[in-house]
Amino acid sequence: MKRSRLIGDLKALSFTLPAMIPLTMFWLFPLAYVIYLSFMEWDFMSPEKTFVGLDNYRYLWQDPNFYQSLKVTFLFCAGSVLPIMAFGLLLAVLLGNKLKGGAVYRLLMFSPWVTPMVAVSIVWSWIYEPEVGLANSILRSFGLDGVRWLEDPAWALVGVLLVTVWKAAGWCMIFYLVAIRQVPSDLLEAAELDGAGAWGKFRHVTLPLISPTTFFLFVVQTIQALQAYDQINVLTQGGPAGTTRTLLYLYYQSAFDSFRIGEASSVAMTLIFGCVALSILSFWAGRRTVHYS
Amino acid sequence: MQAWKRLGQAVRHLALAAAALLMAFPFYWMASSALKTNDEIWQFPPTLWPQDPLWSNFGDAWAAAPFARYMANSIFVASAIVAIQIVNSAMMAYALTHMKFRLKGTFTAIVLVGYMVPATAVYLPGYLVLSRLGLLDSYAGLILSNCVSVFSIFLIRQAFLQVSHEMVEAGQIDGASHFRILWTIVLPLTRASFAVLALITFIEQYNNYFWPMLITKNPDLQLVSAGLRSFFVEGGAYGLKWPLIMAASAFTIAPLLLLFLLTQKTIIRSVNLSAGASKG
Repeated sequence: MKRSRLIGDLKALSFTLPAMIPLTMFWLFPLAYVIYLSFMEWDFMSPEKTFVGLDNYRYLWQDPNFYQSLKVTFLFCAGSVLPIMAFGLLLAVLLGNKLKGGAVYRLLMFSPWVTPMVAVSIVWSWIYEPEVGLANSILRSFGLDGVRWLEDPAWALVGVLLVTVWKAAGWCMIFYLVAIRQVPSDLLEAAELDGAGAWGKFRHVTLPLISPTTFFLFVVQTIQALQAYDQINVLTQGGPAGTTRTLLYLYYQSAFDSFRIGEASSVAMTLIFGCVALSILSFWAGRRTVHYS
Repeated sequence: MQAWKRLGQAVRHLALAAAALLMAFPFYWMASSALKTNDEIWQFPPTLWPQDPLWSNFGDAWAAAPFARYMANSIFVASAIVAIQIVNSAMMAYALTHMKFRLKGTFTAIVLVGYMVPATAVYLPGYLVLSRLGLLDSYAGLILSNCVSVFSIFLIRQAFLQVSHEMVEAGQIDGASHFRILWTIVLPLTRASFAVLALITFIEQYNNYFWPMLITKNPDLQLVSAGLRSFFVEGGAYGLKWPLIMAASAFTIAPLLLLFLLTQKTIIRSVNLSAGASKG
């Protein structure tokens, strides 16, 4: 009996190895390693690392660059997540149930999500071209002044955010579409009998019923926003004057440009902490939300 | 009443058409800019469609940098990753759903932790691990470091949970090995989820930029996003050869738009499944 259980265990473990080995090598061990490195001082080159305790973290809390990128990260999250969700919801409501040609609209709106962020960012950097770019041409045709989209500290983050929202809104739309179609029609009819108009039905029936989707999208999109890199790298490289340098961008600049591994790792820890907190929040809320089926 | 309904419908169509146009316009702009001459592209106001479409721009861009190589790299690496992920997610998910063993709880917890840790935040230590293994600048490094995805395991686990345990037990009574049960009973039942996994993973890996760029310095190993980006930055391309840059972006994007057109149903279904996987 004992022997057969042992054999069962071994069989099962052999099934998990092809996933567990790379998972340990490229995910779990690096996680432990980054924690370790955040307590060290190291420049990548020298053979030994020096233990410095919490100095990296202390240094971070005194560094104005850190606060600036914390602020940029917050602005980036708020400025991408909320518009992405609002736009996605609006599109889903417009598409709603059974609409002629709905599939074509859906296809067009979802297409940005499929394409490489680097390629579309390059296309957008042409749209943002200050002299003859499309964005400024449109502004000028309305009699407005053009903007130096990616070079003006006041506009660079807006420029990056527009691309980010454009790319992800269709993805949220699909989630909302599925959720809206699952709203029971008898509830909507009951609300109509009670005299609710279109807005009333949306506000009091649909919106509460799709709240789990809203919450899910909020968490996923925030985690995405915390990890945004490609579009920043192509469009602005964190500039001008650090106005688009998020925490993740700061992390890689301090690691691969200034070779301050310890500091970089402590920035990474801040990021990891944020994502873990969000994930735990989502698991916790997932258990408590009542609106599931 | 009928008239109001019609009007509402018309307004909806109008709003949707405007939004769809807005979303698709950058692609149109890319294509039309790719066909302009250098003189025309710097004209103000810009023309909506070039007077004389210069189709040779595509050929020139294709020849200006090793794009064939970049694309072949991306397709090869992405396909290899898809194949490996299908195998390891299937086996892992099977063990987690239909086998009893000690450490099952621990492994589930490990996968959960993996799910919470943002991949980009561990790129630096991941880079150090790869360099210690001597796998920087190699196909093996590109493929192995991406060959497991916690999301894929979640997705397949969710699908396997729907397969009744009795069917697996019946297979065992008939003396079939676990591998055989997985291959002949469970896999065929969950084909749809694997199609989703394959497509999503392929798209993600083809589009991958940050990590491959970190771990490869050799230009021969560049994937298409990194290759396109170096074409954009190098050779005075910044602002000088916009039509060629747009042409290069177009043939980087085109295969994905085509793939999406052909498989839209599967991709859109992925949204359902991934919502399920993440709630699980």
